Amino acid sequence: MENFTNEPIDISALPRYEVVNLNALQSKYWNVILFNIVATFLIIGVVLVVIVYFVEEIHSIAWLFGLVYILFLGFTFLLCRISLKKRGFAFREHDVIYRSGILATNTMIIPYNRVQHVALHEGFISRYFDLAKVEIFTAGGDSSDVSIPGIKKEQAEDIKQLLMGKIQKQL
Amino acid sequence: MIKSEFSTPQRQSKTGLLVLFANSLFEFMKAMWIVLIIFFLKGKATDIFWGIGIFVLVLLGFGVYSYLKYQTFTFYIDEEQNEFVVQHGILNKTKTVIKLHKIQQVNLKQNIIHRIVDVYQVNIDSAGSEEKEAVINAVSKEVAMALKAKLLDNERVEVIDNSVEVEREIEDKPFLKIDLISLLKVGITSNYAKSIGLLLTFFFTIYENLNHAGADELIDGSKVEDFIANYTAVYSVLVAILLLFTVIFIINVVRTLVKYYGFKIAKQKGSLIMSYGLIATQSTILKPEKVQIVKITRNFFQKKLKILEISIKQTISDETKKDKSTIEIPGCNEIERDEILQLIFNEIPEKGEKLKPNFRKLLFSIFLLIVLPLSAYLTIGNWFANSIFEYKSIAVFYTVFIFIGLLFGFKNNSLHINDKHVIMQSGAWDIDNEIIKIEKIQAITTSQLFWHKSLNIGSLTIHTAGGNVSFQLGNFEKINQYVNLWLYQIEKNESNWN
Repeated sequence: MENFTNEPIDISALPRYEVVNLNALQSKYWNVILFNIVATFLIIGVVLVVIVYFVEEIHSIAWLFGLVYILFLGFTFLLCRISLKKRGFAFREHDVIYRSGILATNTMIIPYNRVQHVALHEGFISRYFDLAKVEIFTAGGDSSDVSIPGIKKEQAEDIKQLLMGKIQKQL
Repeated sequence: MIKSEFSTPQRQSKTGLLVLFANSLFEFMKAMWIVLIIFFLKGKATDIFWGIGIFVLVLLGFGVYSYLKYQTFTFYIDEEQNEFVVQHGILNKTKTVIKLHKIQQVNLKQNIIHRIVDVYQVNIDSAGSEEKEAVINAVSKEVAMALKAKLLDNERVEVIDNSVEVEREIEDKPFLKIDLISLLKVGITSNYAKSIGLLLTFFFTIYENLNHAGADELIDGSKVEDFIANYTAVYSVLVAILLLFTVIFIINVVRTLVKYYGFKIAKQKGSLIMSYGLIATQSTILKPEKVQIVKITRNFFQKKLKILEISIKQTISDETKKDKSTIEIPGCNEIERDEILQLIFNEIPEKGEKLKPNFRKLLFSIFLLIVLPLSAYLTIGNWFANSIFEYKSIAVFYTVFIFIGLLFGFKNNSLHINDKHVIMQSGAWDIDNEIIKIEKIQAITTSQLFWHKSLNIGSLTIHTAGGNVSFQLGNFEKINQYVNLWLYQIEKNESNWN
């Protein structure tokens, strides 16, 4: 009891989440995104070519399809690039911060003592680049879960261990 | 007295047979009512003769079925294993075993048939990872009370004679009771949208079913057309609106009365127990530590009539049980509200510092809900289909209605913060106040559009285990300050969330 104090909290002296330096995702993760874009657009492209080839009425405007296709590809490319650049994460002493978004900057903060479990996810292509995704779940349902992609495999393992340790301690 | 009464397998009450029979018959009627109505409306005399024959056969069938069900249903307490065992099933036997120490709640329920033959339904809820439930449909009052006492307090071997009396006393002394007048007030002042939805689904089901049954000629459209032709369009629209409102009022009042008749709340071992319902008595348990969001709703009429509604969101353990985790208390007054808040929060949360959204929130919603739809309407009308301009009056009505709604919604929107709680106020007509205890916050999201950076405005979403609450376009610096404070309050405690 003698250690108990009850001083007023100086709000301006509290650690500020908005100024924390965030870690960027691994640059290799761009390869994974590229692969996904290329694969998706290859499928769309093949379908388009088949349609244009078999439907004779639209042969004359085939160039329009091509143009839209390329514009769309470029646009997707650009958006994914911006999205990747803007994403970031940080593990503080007591919580995890994840930032994302293209037009809006969304910052989500989950205190460790609200984390229910942690999972490590390795995609097929990610594994090739030695990358993993850390998924953090709370009791708040889908909207308050976070998944951080593009983290080095060993680092992701470490993060998982760290979080598990934090959760264990608090139980 | 009835010490080892439950150690051997036993059946339900004999009079309970009637309940089983009525229940299965009711289920049957619920599934078949449309067919039955059509049959009686369209059937010829001979058909009705056959129909009655079939009906008698069905009754007999259900009688035999209920008897077999009664015969095969047994329950007992295995005192050596400390388990409660329920066995049932005519062909497929099912055995449910619940460890006595895992039993959390034993509820006694009565619907209208139970009341007639004076028996009780016993519901046994258990907690734990494997959630189990056992239901004994019909036992006499003495057995029900004794079983409840035995299951809830298995260490106390001697069941004291007056335990039944004590039980009754708790149930008879609720700390809150909602009377008929309050329920009537609630019925006429709320849930218009819900009732309209109910009305529409009702008509659609009937219409579809009648169509399926090939009973088109039953729906006589010509009369309605004649009526409209005889009077002016405006007059018939007025009559239709009047009729609709009357029907909605009646539905609202009846629905509220049937659902919440005899609503009362009693305290028991730190939890709140609510029971209500006219035809089937429902009972729900509320544990204050499980409460995530408390929402207090009140509109203009309700303010004048001095009533308000409270809905309490508990932890959603399972998405499918979402409805079950929200508890609604219709029509209580301010004193009762304070009592309930006191019980849940151990204090009455005060509205602390107030944050208002930026006026751009109003502009943005006007753009989204008025400017965009109107320009789409004008574009389509101008270039594609001139005929939609005939409905100009609807467009004008929509614009005015939505504009007033948005204006009030903006005026009422604010975020209040005190030491322990966040209170979010919102709504155009029904004004909601959602109260969240800061320690119940699971995660926080802040969001800012890049062109709002220099304006210093942004949004906040608070995630809890009972849902999210969002506040849009407030002073972002202020929001961030509070986020930091809340994080500090949550994280300084080592204790895990429960």
